Amino acid sequence: MKTLFCSILLSLMSLQAFAGIAVIVHPDNASSLDKKAISNIYLGKTKSFPGGGQAVPINLDSGLPMREDFDANVLGKSSSQLKSYWSQKVFTGKGTPPKEMANDDEVIKLVSSNPNIIGYIDSSKVNDSVKVAAEF
Amino acid sequence: MKLKLAVSIGALLLSSPVLAEVTISGFASIVGGQVIEGSGVDEFDLPPTFLADYPLVGAYEEEISFKPDTLFGLQFSADLLDGLTATAQIVSRGADDFDVSFEWAYISYELNEHWTLQGGKKRLPLYYYSDFFDVGYAYPWIRPPADNYTWQIFNYTGVSALYNYLVGDWTLSGQFYYGSEDDEPNKLLSEFFFLEPTREIWNDIGGVVLQLNRDWLDIRVTHMQYTNERYIGDVQQVWDGSTDRKGKFYGLSVNIDYENFLLLTELNRLDLSGTDLDTYMVTLGYRFGDFMPYAGYADFNDGEGGEVHNTTSLGIRWDFHPSAALKLQYDDVEDNGGPGLKVAGDSKSVSFGVDLVF
Repeated sequence: MKTLFCSILLSLMSLQAFAGIAVIVHPDNASSLDKKAISNIYLGKTKSFPGGGQAVPINLDSGLPMREDFDANVLGKSSSQLKSYWSQKVFTGKGTPPKEMANDDEVIKLVSSNPNIIGYIDSSKVNDSVKVAAEF
Repeated sequence: MKLKLAVSIGALLLSSPVLAEVTISGFASIVGGQVIEGSGVDEFDLPPTFLADYPLVGAYEEEISFKPDTLFGLQFSADLLDGLTATAQIVSRGADDFDVSFEWAYISYELNEHWTLQGGKKRLPLYYYSDFFDVGYAYPWIRPPADNYTWQIFNYTGVSALYNYLVGDWTLSGQFYYGSEDDEPNKLLSEFFFLEPTREIWNDIGGVVLQLNRDWLDIRVTHMQYTNERYIGDVQQVWDGSTDRKGKFYGLSVNIDYENFLLLTELNRLDLSGTDLDTYMVTLGYRFGDFMPYAGYADFNDGEGGEVHNTTSLGIRWDFHPSAALKLQYDDVEDNGGPGLKVAGDSKSVSFGVDLVF
């Protein structure tokens, strides 16, 4: 019984780990991105890719599990910490948070159509129209 | 000026729906509170009072009240393309009997990736929390520590240049600003200090803000100067034979947000024609998941026998919803002001509320 429970728990954990986050850019975008570079772009600290060119980040809707994963594992902050951070910027005229999309497909569509856009999706949804810049 | 600017921005917001994408966002704080125990100030016939918000005279007494800190704000931002944005903020406050006013209205132009120019009416970015003072969701407490945020002027009309650079692992940002404010009647001075309609003028307000930020460390230094003129009743004030006096403000803030640990500090000095008004505050917080208890101390001192007061605060913030936080706070104010220079006496108060952003 105990072993069964453990194995179920393990398989749940591995499923969780399997659903990775793929940070995606346009296939023509040659930038190599580490966690730091991605979080600088997503926190509005820079508006360009490390290798040059304007960077426009897009987010998934808050409340989606992938968004929470991204906030916690890539940006290293809770969703409410980020909300605080952005409310400071928005209401002082110092910045606007990334636009939010309802699902992975919308993100793929935007990223594949514009070399300046950067997004993230469930890594199992990646197709040829986009390039994976980093995986978490 | 205020009305004209508001109207023209209103017109900008309303016209050309095809060209401009208008974003509406907002914030609200619904806060109640009361004084549990307080001395009041006998010489002013003031009952037990907790002055929670100086600029707006948000004061709690022994009866529970929802007015002093409750507010609603709406921000309209029209993207006029090519880096041009028009923004207006409307705020309705309990401390103002929920009068709706255009708090801010400004035009913003993104010059390049690093510099943005703004012109219009904005909050004066004096202290760390000054320019988002109304957005309770963005900080731990019910309101920024009252002993530090004692300023009678909190908006200005003018121009500013904002900058933002990424240098290695550091973000270097801040602004330069210049403007003026002519406030009549000034609420704090008229209703609380002089009990007569007071016109407060700040001319040649010029300031600089420099903020350095890296991972968990955030440092802000600022300097501002202005020239003050004042009319109490219709009588122009004279200080040392002059109808104006110079104020020089210096501020340093060091904040640490390391894993679950939060440390917020501010140290400020205003040199007002030779007199130093010193303020500082320290707050410590620790996050347990969605809960963050915090403890803070804030102090105001303009010299022995002058205006001297401090507040010790204990509170808890609970992020119970992705865009709302519940807060409960206890404040213990000690007023050690000299003869005639007490503000609101000693008090112990409780306040609670919800802050939201949308």
